[in-house]
Amino acid sequence: MKRWSRRLRQLAGGVLDLPQDVVLEVPRITMIGHLQMYIENHRGVLHFSEKELRLLLTNGQMIVSGEQLVIRAILPEEVLLEGRIGGVKFLETGPQSS
Amino acid sequence: MRNGIKEWVDGHVTITVRGKRFERMLNMAVRDGIRIWNIRRVGEEVTRCDILIRDYFRLRPLLKETGCRSHVEARDGLPFWLLRLRRRTGLAIGAALFFIGLYMLSSFVWSVEVSGTKMVDPRRVIQAAEQVGIKEGAWKVKLKEPLVLQKELLSLLPEASWVGIEIQGTKVMLQVVEKEAPVKPLATGPRHLVAKKRAVVHKILPEVGRSQVVSNQLVEKGQVLISGIIGNDARQQAVSARGKVQGEVWYMSNTSVPLKQTMHRLTGEKLEQQYLLVGPYAIYVWPFEKQSFAQAEMAEQRFLPSYAGYTSPLGWKTVTYAQTEPVQTEMSVEEATELAKKFAREDILQKAGKDAFIQDEKVLHVTTENGKVYVSIHFSVIEDIAIEQPFVGQ
Repeated sequence: MKRWSRRLRQLAGGVLDLPQDVVLEVPRITMIGHLQMYIENHRGVLHFSEKELRLLLTNGQMIVSGEQLVIRAILPEEVLLEGRIGGVKFLETGPQSS
Repeated sequence: MRNGIKEWVDGHVTITVRGKRFERMLNMAVRDGIRIWNIRRVGEEVTRCDILIRDYFRLRPLLKETGCRSHVEARDGLPFWLLRLRRRTGLAIGAALFFIGLYMLSSFVWSVEVSGTKMVDPRRVIQAAEQVGIKEGAWKVKLKEPLVLQKELLSLLPEASWVGIEIQGTKVMLQVVEKEAPVKPLATGPRHLVAKKRAVVHKILPEVGRSQVVSNQLVEKGQVLISGIIGNDARQQAVSARGKVQGEVWYMSNTSVPLKQTMHRLTGEKLEQQYLLVGPYAIYVWPFEKQSFAQAEMAEQRFLPSYAGYTSPLGWKTVTYAQTEPVQTEMSVEEATELAKKFAREDILQKAGKDAFIQDEKVLHVTTENGKVYVSIHFSVIEDIAIEQPFVGQ
């Protein structure tokens, strides 16, 4: 059932030319240089420290590494992160496992 | 995403949270709609963040649930400012009093200025303004509409045809436009009208008083023409006699006109001299060589820049000489006689005063002697012969 709906969504995204983040439940990230990062569509904070922010996504996790990280603002689905961002990494757990 | 003004007005605190399960608490708080910002790790298991005051109390059950402990580090925002202000009541009262005082003092009239008065005393305008309420120390709120005030002030100042009221801050400017007063006839005391010179009365038109002479009557100098005493013998009244008496007066005029006359005529040659004016001195500047004509008419033009009553001490003067030359003309005897008559007429009319006219003129004789024409003319002139003579009325 879940596979079906996923297929359908991907198909709709391709045919109707919709942005992927609207169709698929993936985060949309806006970065200003390496100083600021705006993440939409997250599902919660897993871990936060000066050097790392680990966010839960619909299908997996997202790791932002950097230095002197500060969460400037946080809302249920949005995070505004500041600091010296070094890298972004995605850990996909896949739809089957979740 | 964030609203800085709202955060400041509502008041916020900076807290440090100590606990292993901070992330879990953060997620729960965010889900509950608690606003948390500026989150940063300051050490192992220690996080610092900012939160609104009212959200802080909502956060406490979550802290308990996740086993975290909080500690308030700093307070900021309007509620804490007010608290601090309450501790310094004197300062707050002083600031408030200052603003109230400034507002109140600026709502009074502190000066009244009058402009545009010529005949009316400005103090009278100020007094009238005081009656309608415009005075130093008056409360502007209590003053009526400027248009109403204008009307009232105008009714108190009959000499003015318009009064403008303009309030500029604490200053009231009254602009008065005065009526052009009609020229009043001078009040005169009791008087007669008497003859100015020996004459034959031509016309007599008494306005006030009783005429004592009739037309074609010969009057001597000083004779009463219109009497200022009216009424009969039993009841008399002294008035200021008024009226018009025209008389015929004879004049003899002897005029001489030379047949040869010298006139000065402009030749068209001109010379200009430029001077620099320094204070009361004029310094010759141009042209280098000073030239002049034997006979010339001089015209001077000065240029001194002046502004608002101040005149510059430095200026420029241009002197223009226009050359003239004498021209001899010779007239015939007839022309000379006509010229002499013209001169004589002008002379007589000037002597006879205004409203006079020549009724008759007769050339008695014309002689030519030594290159001159002598003409004697007899004029009979109609002129005003009445003159006022005051008397002390009974």
